[in-house]
Amino acid sequence: MRKFLVITIPIVTLVLFIFVMESDIFLKRPLGKNDSIPESINAVVNDIQKDDWDKAVKDTNNLSDVWKKVVRRVQFSSERDEINAFSINLARLRGSILAKDRAGAFSELYEAYEHWEDLGK
Amino acid sequence: MNEGLVVCVRSIISFFSLLIFTRILGKEQISQLTFFDYILGITIGSIAATLSTDLSSRSWPHWIGILVWAALGLLLEYITMRWRYVAKYLENEPTIVIMNGKIMEKTLKKMKFRVSDITELLRNKDIFDMNEVDFAIIEPNGQLSVLKKPEFQNLTPKDMHIQKKASGISSELIYDGILIEENLRQLDKDKNWLLNELKKHGIKNISDVFIATLDPSGSLYIDLYNDHMTKITDIGDYKGPY
Repeated sequence: MRKFLVITIPIVTLVLFIFVMESDIFLKRPLGKNDSIPESINAVVNDIQKDDWDKAVKDTNNLSDVWKKVVRRVQFSSERDEINAFSINLARLRGSILAKDRAGAFSELYEAYEHWEDLGK
Repeated sequence: MNEGLVVCVRSIISFFSLLIFTRILGKEQISQLTFFDYILGITIGSIAATLSTDLSSRSWPHWIGILVWAALGLLLEYITMRWRYVAKYLENEPTIVIMNGKIMEKTLKKMKFRVSDITELLRNKDIFDMNEVDFAIIEPNGQLSVLKKPEFQNLTPKDMHIQKKASGISSELIYDGILIEENLRQLDKDKNWLLNELKKHGIKNISDVFIATLDPSGSLYIDLYNDHMTKITDIGDYKGPY
């Protein structure tokens, strides 16, 4: 019993903490339907390449929904600055799409992708 | 991002990590800490605080920081236990600042201590006259150990050739109104004996007793919940809210 209290509990606790702090390794990956950030970004990139601005608006909304879903589970292992930067990219992307500005939209999308890659690193 | 929730989770991680690491680091009391141990504690605490509330960076690097500092502290502890020579180098050694009643000025200067610091430490030891001091030593934790001159040392029963029984350590028999039977058994006593003793003090129930202790010489200390104190001495020197 003493061994359990003195050794097992602290080790299990530390392992659990490490898991929480490094959980982005697992939680950044898609866990269900429609929760992959890279796929959602690619969808918007394809729409803009085809000049399909209506679909781009729709897919940007979808990207925003996916982001809200994913950020809930990666927030414990990530830095706030990267999360905020991604959210700002999304807001700017909406503006670029509204103005049908291809260059601006691509910049925001690729920067958002970079922030996604750096999240939790 | 729910910042409050994230801070809550990170605080739990920080709090319990700190608890586990400090337990591993040892049971030294604040008074036993060397100056370096003190700085080590402050640094680890500071990193833990950053881990808890600095959301601009991930918790992982901070946690690794705590881990490395704690591991280095543990390594240093191990080295100083294993090699006395290294311990002297790392933790310093006791330094005599008063020898045969004479202040060692050069040593004081080397240790960056003023005479007023020494007199202050002496006063903390209830010594107001430097004439009483034979030896004074500054320990690695900054405390002053004093050996008084023979003529100023306290008179002990041994000096008077008086035989005294060893008092030993008291055991709790009743705590918070509850009988601790294990301690009773260890002292070769039983519940009836205790009830008789309580009766002698006019106490009928064990539950009336807040604490009762017995030392190996047989001296029983009893404190009741209701002490029937009519006049309580007030040591407050100024009127306040309490």
